[in-house]
Amino acid sequence: MDKDLLAPEASNNHWQRLSPIAVLYFVASGIKTAANNAIYLLPALAVSYSTAKESPQLWIPIVIAVLCLISLTSFLQYAFYSFRLANENIEIRSGVFSKTYINLPFTRIQNVTIERPLYYRFTNTCCLQLDTAGSAKQEAKIVALPVDYAERLKHSILLKEKPATSKSATDCASESLAQNAQAEYVLNTRSIKDLVIHGITNNRVWIIIGAMAPFYDDVARSLAGFAERAGIDYQHYFDSQSQAFWQVGLAIISLIFVAMLSVTLLSVIGSIVLFYDYSLAKTDDRYIRRSGLFTKQEVTIKRSRLQVIAQKQDWLDVILGRINLELKQNSSGIQQTNELQDNQNKILVPSVTHSEADIIIRDAFSDNNLGKISFNAISPRFILRQCLWLIPLNLLFSLMAYFKSGLMGILLIQIICSFIICLIYIRWKRWGYASDNEYIYIRKGLFGVDHYCFPKFKVQQTQFIQSRMMLKQGLASINVIMASGALRIPFMRQHDAKSILENVLFTVSFKRKSWM
Amino acid sequence: MNYQIVETSALPDPNEINFESLNKRYRPLAICTTWLFALLFIAIMTITRFQPFINLHTDLLAIYPYAFGCVMIITLLISVYLFFAIPCKKYCLKEHDLHYCSGLIFRKIISQPILRIQHVELKRGPLERAFNLASLQVFSAGGSLHTFEIPGLDMRDSQKIRQYILDHKDVLTDG
Repeated sequence: MDKDLLAPEASNNHWQRLSPIAVLYFVASGIKTAANNAIYLLPALAVSYSTAKESPQLWIPIVIAVLCLISLTSFLQYAFYSFRLANENIEIRSGVFSKTYINLPFTRIQNVTIERPLYYRFTNTCCLQLDTAGSAKQEAKIVALPVDYAERLKHSILLKEKPATSKSATDCASESLAQNAQAEYVLNTRSIKDLVIHGITNNRVWIIIGAMAPFYDDVARSLAGFAERAGIDYQHYFDSQSQAFWQVGLAIISLIFVAMLSVTLLSVIGSIVLFYDYSLAKTDDRYIRRSGLFTKQEVTIKRSRLQVIAQKQDWLDVILGRINLELKQNSSGIQQTNELQDNQNKILVPSVTHSEADIIIRDAFSDNNLGKISFNAISPRFILRQCLWLIPLNLLFSLMAYFKSGLMGILLIQIICSFIICLIYIRWKRWGYASDNEYIYIRKGLFGVDHYCFPKFKVQQTQFIQSRMMLKQGLASINVIMASGALRIPFMRQHDAKSILENVLFTVSFKRKSWM
Repeated sequence: MNYQIVETSALPDPNEINFESLNKRYRPLAICTTWLFALLFIAIMTITRFQPFINLHTDLLAIYPYAFGCVMIITLLISVYLFFAIPCKKYCLKEHDLHYCSGLIFRKIISQPILRIQHVELKRGPLERAFNLASLQVFSAGGSLHTFEIPGLDMRDSQKIRQYILDHKDVLTDG
């Protein structure tokens, strides 16, 4: 079967080379690494700054040398990279000086991610990333595969996880492949309008800010230059000596407004870049997320590996009635260094409406009552406990304010304190928990509100926490540790805490269902 | 040592008899370790203070006796805390899960279903070897932050518990 399915170019027992276009990928990642490491060069730059300033042409050979080095290493990486598929294993050999050899059985692969960066769009190739349930080191990335080849490889990897039927291998594969292709239906798509809403309600600026980091100074300088050329004397507007008080205030307000507007605009652009052409599709046991304007990403997650569903709403989302839905899977052992990487570990459905969210949640966790269940409040002692640290801080700051600006200072501190107490009250009001036969539900938030829902049988570990004071009041906090992270419910009634934990431990040990 | 293995699924109360205390040698070990670290710190400080090679700032020299006193007081406080806190650390093996209870002021009971255990490790540092003690670490998919650990077990006890976990039918099935 493998021969027919997986070997369009070469026999699968032979080591295969990548297509030459892969060099591009290595160059791109080389430039990325160089840019990331440039920060370590800053001290050297600072020392040689004056010399460099006098003779800027000195930079030309350095830049050329760096580029040559990157091209050379990219070519070597390409030349030393080979992979093969044999006996349902994927083997990858790479590395110029330190050799790496990865052997990954298909059955151990947790996610298959297909990525199509912009520069691969023209050659119809893509990157195939394979993640295992284990550590982050055990992942494999094959670059510059032809798209249809990658698709077929993906299908055969995913098929391997199902128990084989007695039919002949080739028939079985092509049949289930056809079934898979037919069975895939789209659960949700996001229009540009949804993405704009998502950009406004959720700050997606970090994508652009992150990409622009090296150019901050230049941007600021050119903006100032532009303003000067346009005849705007910005220093004049903020000069409190030549302008009236209200004029300076107006200038500041309009500046904040312009800043917020541009941040929102950037955020919308970021949202569109990340989620353009979004679709969440489903086969019988998997979810497939596809999106991206420049780099098209396709993430496949097995349904049984979902651990927690989080329904997140910021305050603007609450007003607009939108929800960010996160389907989280096992993330232990994977170091999340940035949000982009984090995205591969969960499926985010941006800014869906309540009814759309309900459809997806009910599809993922059947018999789920997240929308209907009524939540139990936590004890009002939570407010008292949170105010405990406020008292010494209040005294300290009041004292400082008194010496600085008399009674007015104390008044100001008291106003700030009461505001914080209001926030604590809102936070308490948001906290809630509930459980039914199969699931535990948690509600929390401050201005926004987040709902979490997870099946009891997938719990990894439980923690019961109680201080001496809480023991007297008959209260307790619990931590429930899932493979996707810990979830906490503070200041519950002790009886509820115990019965939930006992029920969880019982469900785990006696239902004996797999969490994967 | 015979373990009382309870067959219900109720969350155990640390005041019940079925909770085992840690080995008696664990308290002196923990206090010894604390003092050893403090002495090491003081030694580094003292060597830096009296070495003849580099001239230190006079302020730094003036701070030395206070820093010395601070380290001693902090170590003493930690020792007092450990003296009272370690008897609160207890563990309990049940038919389907392990429980570990700790905390002088904040009592915490961690429960680890045996079905969810991925692997078990015995950890022994040089001091633990000198005291013939071991720490039992139990790993689940909950991540390294949530490693279930029972410290201060007698070597033979820890091996027994490890064997109990490894032979357990829940670990043998693919959970």
